[in-house]
Amino acid sequence: MTTDNKYKVLLVEDDENISRLFSYNIKKSGYECELAVNGREGFDLTKSFKPDIIISDIMMPEVDGFEFREMLLNDPDLRAIPFIFLTAKGAEEDILKGYDLDIQEYIIKTASPKIIMAKLSAILKSGEKERIKAEGEVQKAADSMGAKVVPDAFPNFDGFVIKHWHVPFHNIPGGDFIDYFKIDENNIVIILGDVMGKKWGAWYFAVAYAGYVRSAIRFAVQSNEKITASEIMNRVNASLCEDERISEVFVTLSVVLLNKSDSTANYCGAGDLPIIYYDGSEASMIKSKGLLLGFSKDAGYEDVEIKLKPGDELYMITDGILESRNANSVPYENEGIIKSIKQKSDEDSVERVKREFTEYTQGKFEDDVSLIYVKMN
Amino acid sequence: MRIVEERISDVLVEIVNLNRATLSEANNLMVLIQRGINDGYVKIIVDISTCEYIDSSFLGVLVAALKKVANRGGDVKLVGFKPAVQSMFELTRMFRVFETFSDLQKALKSFSNK
Repeated sequence: MTTDNKYKVLLVEDDENISRLFSYNIKKSGYECELAVNGREGFDLTKSFKPDIIISDIMMPEVDGFEFREMLLNDPDLRAIPFIFLTAKGAEEDILKGYDLDIQEYIIKTASPKIIMAKLSAILKSGEKERIKAEGEVQKAADSMGAKVVPDAFPNFDGFVIKHWHVPFHNIPGGDFIDYFKIDENNIVIILGDVMGKKWGAWYFAVAYAGYVRSAIRFAVQSNEKITASEIMNRVNASLCEDERISEVFVTLSVVLLNKSDSTANYCGAGDLPIIYYDGSEASMIKSKGLLLGFSKDAGYEDVEIKLKPGDELYMITDGILESRNANSVPYENEGIIKSIKQKSDEDSVERVKREFTEYTQGKFEDDVSLIYVKMN
Repeated sequence: MRIVEERISDVLVEIVNLNRATLSEANNLMVLIQRGINDGYVKIIVDISTCEYIDSSFLGVLVAALKKVANRGGDVKLVGFKPAVQSMFELTRMFRVFETFSDLQKALKSFSNK
């Protein structure tokens, strides 16, 4: 489905009159429709247009309907798209061959448009129900595994307020992940990661990456080394560069090591957005230098020390906040978030930032939205 | 067509004719690039001159493609940056990952200079 929630229909038919008639009825029913004139074009369009359903003639030049169907069945990404044969032929042999190719329906062209659209609609709705059911089952499995990428609760760390806000894209768990690792009474590590991608595909890697980061921190703690944000980052990066399983999915990461005893935030970033530091009058963007994780062993990670005073705030964000737009398609960008941060009001800072961002974008977000807020009391 | 492919000598060129390059087009680009790599191409140019916005999925495909061909001695170069894309690339240090050019001819020339 498109982001406007219109179903996408691919019609593969070489007869111009018939394709015009069917395309008209499909669009009149509120669906989006693309046309192809033979199976080869239909196959290419299936890959690029990604329809929710395919309606195909059988008798076509170059690549006929049966061959087209076989091409789709041989492609694991395309085989599951519902498929209907639309044909003038009512021969039993063709019908049987069609069902042998695992099609959903076989419609005679001379049937009334109302009946054809009703069949189309029924198949699409049944597919949608199956998808929702499958997503529900994946969500249940994820919940039972405890495979969360965002903690349910905010951490307790004396002398500081630490909170987060996270809304997954289209409410499907995705690539952003947040984690807190309390090393001891004086030190806590705050993690904000963003896997390049969206929805379940990204979520799977977010779980893996979050695990890598925890392992890196644990290893550093057990080694009794002086832990720094860049040390954690270097360890994670070294492991990722060698892991073939996730070598093609990249992640950006912000690591902040908060130390209570000397009131510092030790920050290191890998391809991430700058963190925002607000001292009550000025908001500044603290940039890091490192490259996104897993790309190169020589990624240039460095520590940035931020000395904190009571009342100082830090904001860590992912790009879903900067890139979401208002009704005039103007993105929120740094200007938007900084303006919100600097507002003086009695309202809780995080609640105010959330409210203003949501109002600006009318609740329509372009990606996972994540924000971590740190304030020194 | 949203992504137009050209094969110019030993260089695979993907011209992205999109205002907003996001998740669904990212998958399409990956299919096209993978097909090119399977056909033996390791020099790839992606022209994003018309893109006002590129999301992380699309960027992830570019990075993944770069890593694949870099292992075979190849490269992925980018052409054309609208201001918002330029700004994002600067903030996230992507300019250190990709060699970039203002037009396709310069990018093609850079491959033949090597």
